[in-house]
Amino acid sequence: MADALPLADVRILDFMWVMAGPAATRMLADYGATVVRIESPTRVDTARTLQPFHNNTPGPDSSGLFGNCNAGKLGISLDLGNPRSREVVFDLLRWAQVVTESFSPKAMRAWGYDYESLRKVKPDLIMVSTCLMGQSGPLSRIAGFGNMAAAISGFHNLTGWADRQPAGPFGAYTDYVSPRFTAMAILAALDHHRRTGEGQYIDQSQAESSLHFLSPAILDYTVNGRIQSRAGNSDREFAPHGVYPAAGEDRWIAIVCQSDSQWRSLCSAIKRADLANDSRLATAAGRREHSAEIDEAISAWTREMGAGAAEAFLQSRAIAAHQVQNSAQIARDPQMAHRGHFVEVNHSTLGKTFVEGPRARLSRTPARVRSAAPFVGEHTQHVLENILHYDEERITDLVAAGVFG
Amino acid sequence: MDGLSAMGMLSPYRVLDLATERGVLCGQLLGDMGADVIKIEPPGGSPARRLGPFVNDEPHPDRSLYWWAYNRNKRSITLDIDRPEGRELLKRLVPAAQFLIESFNPGDMAARGLGYETMAALNPALVYVSISAFGQDGPKASYADADLIIMAAGGPLVLTGDDDRPPVRLSVPQAYLHASADAAVGALAAHHESVRSGRGQHVDVAAEQSVALATQSYVLAAPLGSVEARRMSGGVKFGPLDIPLVWPAKDGYIALTFLFGSALGVFTRKLMEYVCARGFCDEATRDKDWIAFGDQLFSGAEPLSEFERIKQIVMNFTRSHTKAELLQLAVERGFLMTPITTIEEVVKSPQLESRGYWRTLEHPELGRRVTYPGPFAKFSATPLEYRRRPPTIGEHNREIYCGEMGLSEAELANLAERGIV
Repeated sequence: MADALPLADVRILDFMWVMAGPAATRMLADYGATVVRIESPTRVDTARTLQPFHNNTPGPDSSGLFGNCNAGKLGISLDLGNPRSREVVFDLLRWAQVVTESFSPKAMRAWGYDYESLRKVKPDLIMVSTCLMGQSGPLSRIAGFGNMAAAISGFHNLTGWADRQPAGPFGAYTDYVSPRFTAMAILAALDHHRRTGEGQYIDQSQAESSLHFLSPAILDYTVNGRIQSRAGNSDREFAPHGVYPAAGEDRWIAIVCQSDSQWRSLCSAIKRADLANDSRLATAAGRREHSAEIDEAISAWTREMGAGAAEAFLQSRAIAAHQVQNSAQIARDPQMAHRGHFVEVNHSTLGKTFVEGPRARLSRTPARVRSAAPFVGEHTQHVLENILHYDEERITDLVAAGVFG
Repeated sequence: MDGLSAMGMLSPYRVLDLATERGVLCGQLLGDMGADVIKIEPPGGSPARRLGPFVNDEPHPDRSLYWWAYNRNKRSITLDIDRPEGRELLKRLVPAAQFLIESFNPGDMAARGLGYETMAALNPALVYVSISAFGQDGPKASYADADLIIMAAGGPLVLTGDDDRPPVRLSVPQAYLHASADAAVGALAAHHESVRSGRGQHVDVAAEQSVALATQSYVLAAPLGSVEARRMSGGVKFGPLDIPLVWPAKDGYIALTFLFGSALGVFTRKLMEYVCARGFCDEATRDKDWIAFGDQLFSGAEPLSEFERIKQIVMNFTRSHTKAELLQLAVERGFLMTPITTIEEVVKSPQLESRGYWRTLEHPELGRRVTYPGPFAKFSATPLEYRRRPPTIGEHNREIYCGEMGLSEAELANLAERGIV
């Protein structure tokens, strides 16, 4: 067992759907947790309807987002509205150590699956409820996506150009931030349980978790009374600090000078020694003040260069620079290849497809993507037979009752 | 030891936090969950203390709000690990620690003789966490890096901003926060395994990979054979469609998801019923097939001009209401919209107030109480506690070197005199 996957002994009953919740249990599945994921046979998981699609073609299993969030999990189809499904849920509950759910508050209570009800069956249960705004408060009923939690938490107002409307971070930002907090909460609660035998209920507001990514700006307000706002690509510490046009359509290179000596190296690299000797530009503050002039000089050089060539040239002079990469360029990025970022998996209906690889690399027991995301109900039979040890008669009876849709 | 931490989920564990400004969030997360985190800083103080903003905009290493943001629940000692005696002192701390976190340039710790193999020889169960821009090895491992550079490499940047301007980042640096949060998860997974096997390991986190999560899986577009998404101010371009996610209100902006398909079309139908009832569109517009509408646009069955007309209708509706009115509608009717708020509005949010989110910590050295973002989740049995304000430089030197490691006052004074602590 010594070199088994790190979480090989962890069992999770997963009611989560869409993005933020499933991304968290995906991390734990990579590390070896057995995740039995309940999916409704009738109400489609929104993530299954979202781009990007395998072969650019919509279909019940084609969403790359769904595939990415649910790889490595066992999928069981269960009609939670069917009263006979309760016995399956409670048997899974007895099997699991952790129950996770990401519905809007009240849904679990309506089914009788809230923490107080479940702990009567399993007193040491660890249960996580994650939703946009948390289980309580005037906005707890707000349901939706991470772009909504990001907007109401200040992220949108802090992204874009000062002279334009807020651009907002791309997509459902808190759905990317909060899954890490969900996953670490579960792991810490499991450790506490191992030592004390005590379970607990975890109420995660994705907005509240995500605010930790804005802490310096929040403190700037609570301490200094300053309301930070979007500032394009300028930085409070460094200058130049920007994204410059490169040869080609929508091709760009990001360049940052983190010291005065890097600035002088950049001047030499772009053959503008005159700027290096300009005393107005000797400090970051001076360069920020004259950023229009500097950006023009840098752009004149980058426009003549390919983004990749400019990156290599500047990095060879120890100047922080990187081409701005889209998916196609990241797929060719030798560093991402070295890290094994794209993992090919065999999907039961799609055939060969791709998901992102695990992020933290563990040297002795590395995480592994063990399977593609399930189609609806792909592992129902497997779970009933091998996890719940139901006999054939019982399974036939439940099927006839319509429990699995 | 810290008596208050006895109830924390990770209270039996000690973390040696050598992270630079890149990785300070990781140790704080473990500290918030109860671990005893010792922040080990160079004698002049951590480089994170040089990052602003500062209290009253006066630069001072104990008044960096960046430092405050990510170093609560830690004790601080100073130690020069570039000197042999400093390294020996660090090694004395290793056997009793469960975690070590570092975020130097890859190879820097090994060059000091403090790499994973050396530390594992002193403590085989140690979980040794390295946080870097591109990972510990590989063709770009030694690249010069910064927040903007990582966002460019990992995918979020090209998707963010206005289509007629360069891609733009979130103005508050994010890349290393994503990496530090991933590192905390990896560290706890490795720790879970070490309890079983008695052996630790090296956890290597690359921020380039961490930020790729912030592309909503569009980083997979090329491998999947899908078209790429393209940036658009407050939205996204996908194929022929300009899809806005930011909409105007009477007094600012809101985020509104106005999409189609079997899951989202239901919400759009509900919204259009209301928009129609309020007189902003005719019944024929209201009664479109909102589930199929997206497919119809892609196939050409509905012209793009029709989408533009409908966006104008919805915009006329949102623009005629205040942010507060639209939020109220979201609560009452389940519309997928929220106001775009300033940091001030966030801090004054009735929702966060009602959940008792905010925490204050006393800063006696400045004679003031400071409001911090509160616990990242509510734990019923082991609530996260803010036990310590961020430490001043070397605040716990005596407590740890003398009180816990058994150095005499004279030895400590001698180390200080020679600049080792």
